[in-house]
Amino acid sequence: MFATSRTTKLILHIANLTVIAFILLPLVAVLIGSIQSEKALQADTRRLLPLEFTLDNFTVILTKGEQKGRIFEQVTYLPDNIKNFYTAFLNSTIVAGSVTILTLLFGSLSAYTIARQRFRWTLFLLQANIVARFVPVIVLMIPLYVVMRSIGQLNSLSGVIIAETAFLLPYAILILAPYFDTIPAELEEAARIDGCSRFSAFVHVVLPLATPALAACGVIMFIISWHELLIPLILNARPDVMTLPVVIASLVGDVHVFFNLMMAICLLALAPTVILVALLQKYIVEGLSAGAVKG
Amino acid sequence: MSAGAFAFFMNVPTLIFLGLVLAYPVIYAAYLSVHQVGLAQLRRGVFAFNGWTNYGRVLEDPLFWVAIKNTSIFTVITVGSEVVLAVLIALLLNQAGVWTSRITRFLILLPYAIPPIANGLIWSFLYSFQFGFLNRILFTLGLIDEPINWAGNPDTALYAVTVPYIWRTLPFAIILVHAALQGIPRDLYEAAAVDGARAWHRFWHITLPLLRPIIAIILVLRTAFAFAVFEEILAITQGGPGDATWVAAWYSYKITFSPPNNFGMGSASAFILTLMIGIVALVYMRLVYRRVTL
Repeated sequence: MFATSRTTKLILHIANLTVIAFILLPLVAVLIGSIQSEKALQADTRRLLPLEFTLDNFTVILTKGEQKGRIFEQVTYLPDNIKNFYTAFLNSTIVAGSVTILTLLFGSLSAYTIARQRFRWTLFLLQANIVARFVPVIVLMIPLYVVMRSIGQLNSLSGVIIAETAFLLPYAILILAPYFDTIPAELEEAARIDGCSRFSAFVHVVLPLATPALAACGVIMFIISWHELLIPLILNARPDVMTLPVVIASLVGDVHVFFNLMMAICLLALAPTVILVALLQKYIVEGLSAGAVKG
Repeated sequence: MSAGAFAFFMNVPTLIFLGLVLAYPVIYAAYLSVHQVGLAQLRRGVFAFNGWTNYGRVLEDPLFWVAIKNTSIFTVITVGSEVVLAVLIALLLNQAGVWTSRITRFLILLPYAIPPIANGLIWSFLYSFQFGFLNRILFTLGLIDEPINWAGNPDTALYAVTVPYIWRTLPFAIILVHAALQGIPRDLYEAAAVDGARAWHRFWHITLPLLRPIIAIILVLRTAFAFAVFEEILAITQGGPGDATWVAAWYSYKITFSPPNNFGMGSASAFILTLMIGIVALVYMRLVYRRVTL
């Protein structure tokens, strides 16, 4: 649509390369950082590419600190949380998986009624969800802590799952509602005439048609939940119920953790959602625009 | 079952969740913010009413105002650059005839996949004074002779933490603008081309006005979220050096969870933050409801 002279094209290529370089910069850094030893990082502080290539950082994390490998031979101190990698990874998977299922389940029930049943209170519910999407976790951390303590859900995965589900539910509803709105109501009416109840018309007619929206919403919910730091940080202090972001955050203030080890654990933590984004890009793009524009 | 009863039963789970974990805690936070709440009181479960004392102490705390100032600067820089960059990059992605645009389009969502706390740590490695990757790049290119202390210098730290945040949240804005661009009818441009309008004029008189609604939505959404920035601050600077990167969320977090654990003041400061975000949220709701569709 723009004039495509050779100079214009060259400028556009350069612009693209700049954007690509900016996107890749942190990812190259985390890759290179994770395959170096502490010694190599300290030896030459001006060198771009590593002096050596080692997988010891990953080995030490993945063997819970048992196989120290060459670069950690003389290291006496390893943070305990590094050794909890598997537990944290499993916890993150359980939390993100459960939150995804629960938000899809309850979110689709609400989004469908908001899209179909035009009562004054369903409109109010929609508005409440739009406002709720803005409530920052930081505001609720204290009362959330007190509430979860009083119902005995501190230091448990279920407490984190309940809290995150509630926080993400409004967003799930905002993503799903516009999609349900596009499904023609005649289809359910036909099913109702055939003797279906309202609920079974929803389950057997509407939900199958909404699969793309459920996929879009589900992958976004999984990613946000996988990334969530504050809720598990506030609710869970015991190592056996920590999620990956909490383990990573605990390294920030640790006595001595070097960048090579931190980059390795960051790489392991970001891999699952990077794979999801690479595979399901189309759905994420659709979900993000639906959730922001069509409230 | 009547339509009304059906609609109600479909929403029971949502209402329970929102009530238990959102509505009740918001009210409870308001309650805590006008009471004296420390660790000892929390253990006993008895809080003495102290009126506006917590709010008074927050508003008298110079550090709180530093945090508000830093948050505002942070928000203006991140949101401003995101809107400009999102429009430019979305236009770039839209260039069908440029093959490098396809690569950019493939990579553009990648930052969305990175956990915020990991993003913070990666950038603290990039910024590191002694071992940092950024200084290594600049040394290799021969651009600097001495290492630069990006995040450790009080003059540059706040600007340094805006870049990782922009990096992580930009894809969202680009996606929205790009989607809006797809909705602009081709024949508008063709008509303009027939009239002899230059590329710049077409952008200024056709594209930009039609993008205005989506730009407004991005402005409001990103402002609300930038106000509550937390992870990158925790990972890169922990509010430092000195108070150079204390932001509002970091203030509430530190007041509450580091000794002497003043839960009352923490709640009060968090409530002030909510109020500021609430105003932004109301603006957003008006925007969405006006539905200036493309």
